[in-house]
Amino acid sequence: MDVDRSKLAEEVLEVIITEGKIDRSKITSNATLESLEVQSIDVVMILMAIEEKFSVYIPIDGSIAEAKDLTSFVSSVVERILEKRD
Amino acid sequence: MIDVQRLRVVVTGMGSVSAAGIGVERLWNAARTGQSGVGIAHLPRAGSNRVNLAAQVKDFEPEAFIERKLLPYCDRFAQLAIVAADEAMAQAGIGRDHRLGERTGVILGTAVGGITTIDDLCYTDLVLKARTDPLSVPRIMGSSAPSHIGMRYGCTGPTYAVTSACASASQAIGMGCFLIRSGLIDRAIVGGSDSSITALNIRAWETLRVLTPDCPRPFSIGRNGMVLGEGAGIFVLESEATAFARGATVLAEMAGFGTTSDAFDIVRPDVEGAANAMRIAIADAGLVPEQIDYVNAHGTGTVANDNVEAKALRSVFGPRLRELAISSTKPIHGHTLGAAGAIELAITIMAMREGIVPPTINWLGPDPNIGSDFDPVPNEARRRPIGAAMSNSFAFGGINSCLIVVPAP
Repeated sequence: MDVDRSKLAEEVLEVIITEGKIDRSKITSNATLESLEVQSIDVVMILMAIEEKFSVYIPIDGSIAEAKDLTSFVSSVVERILEKRD
Repeated sequence: MIDVQRLRVVVTGMGSVSAAGIGVERLWNAARTGQSGVGIAHLPRAGSNRVNLAAQVKDFEPEAFIERKLLPYCDRFAQLAIVAADEAMAQAGIGRDHRLGERTGVILGTAVGGITTIDDLCYTDLVLKARTDPLSVPRIMGSSAPSHIGMRYGCTGPTYAVTSACASASQAIGMGCFLIRSGLIDRAIVGGSDSSITALNIRAWETLRVLTPDCPRPFSIGRNGMVLGEGAGIFVLESEATAFARGATVLAEMAGFGTTSDAFDIVRPDVEGAANAMRIAIADAGLVPEQIDYVNAHGTGTVANDNVEAKALRSVFGPRLRELAISSTKPIHGHTLGAAGAIELAITIMAMREGIVPPTINWLGPDPNIGSDFDPVPNEARRRPIGAAMSNSFAFGGINSCLIVVPAP
């Protein structure tokens, strides 16, 4: 299960980097969406790609809106994917 | 010269079609008792939408209300408007036996007009490759609803559609009020109508990520988006002298209108623009914030709208905020877009007439971002005398519109 989760987190992170056009050199353990220059329209595009890849609808509100840094953003997306699978 | 600030405008009729059913009475009962019209959407065709919630008008049979020969010319949004207009005119005591003439105008809001007909047109032509509806053009045009209602009652005064997304109906009502105050007309049929519950439209909204996948809960902790609705709300506005001369029963006074534009962002709301629209409306009614008892909020249930609206209300009302009853009735009738300002004004007028504040249902608890000085009238209606009430509408594109009503003079 934990292996599943970390593999999923890696896949989600890849989608975020690609769709959010994030500069990999700027990714640190405490990187925020702001420091990575991710804007709300980028989040909309990221969630569209997540939906295509994982077949899950995630609204921009709720736990996503609360996520201020990259780590919590990834984990709230992972949570929603796992919820959908259950 | 006419003093536009002095000429009183009154409401003599109201009509509505919504997820609560046909009629203002059903709408008000649903709002007061917290009966939600949100359910699994019945869609004309399946699509790629994942969200499947909407507040639809159920079991609507237009043939029961509208002449069969007229129906092919009417998109569903126009049908809903006609049915609501007939209710409003019947309440106002105005029949179809004589033409109302050039002193009566018709001004209705719509955000997306005949979008269901566009959806059908695309499907028929591009997918089925079949013969398309030759009446598509008169069905699609956003001004079809005011034109049909004008023909029905012989109104030859200023007739047009206002389209400003979710502020459409509120601005249409405000403009009708201003035209009467200016002395240009004596009477206006105003309000708004929208019907856009198709798979394609739900998909368009959900890819913006603003739809809730489970439950709309405005101003609440844990809210995660809005739900689409459809419907119409129509009012008969008249100058007080016109209503008095024909012995009409006055339901409320249309006391104030304020409208502004953020000129800031096409989708993100702005505190100052919304606050200024409220301030202008309150001043236009000749009131001060301390005199407002109830606000029917725009309250979509998205994080962005509700946070900004709460800040704007705090900026306008200051310490009065604690004593203000504020509710969003959108979980009852859905977000009806270009009809929202009208459907919600009907609820606001009923709340004031009955001294009952309708609740914000589905509320789970306070959101720290909204603040503890904010009373959303959670989950249950409350008795409260209302001396003045405000209805807020804030739209994508940054257009804000607020209406103030007070009891009949």
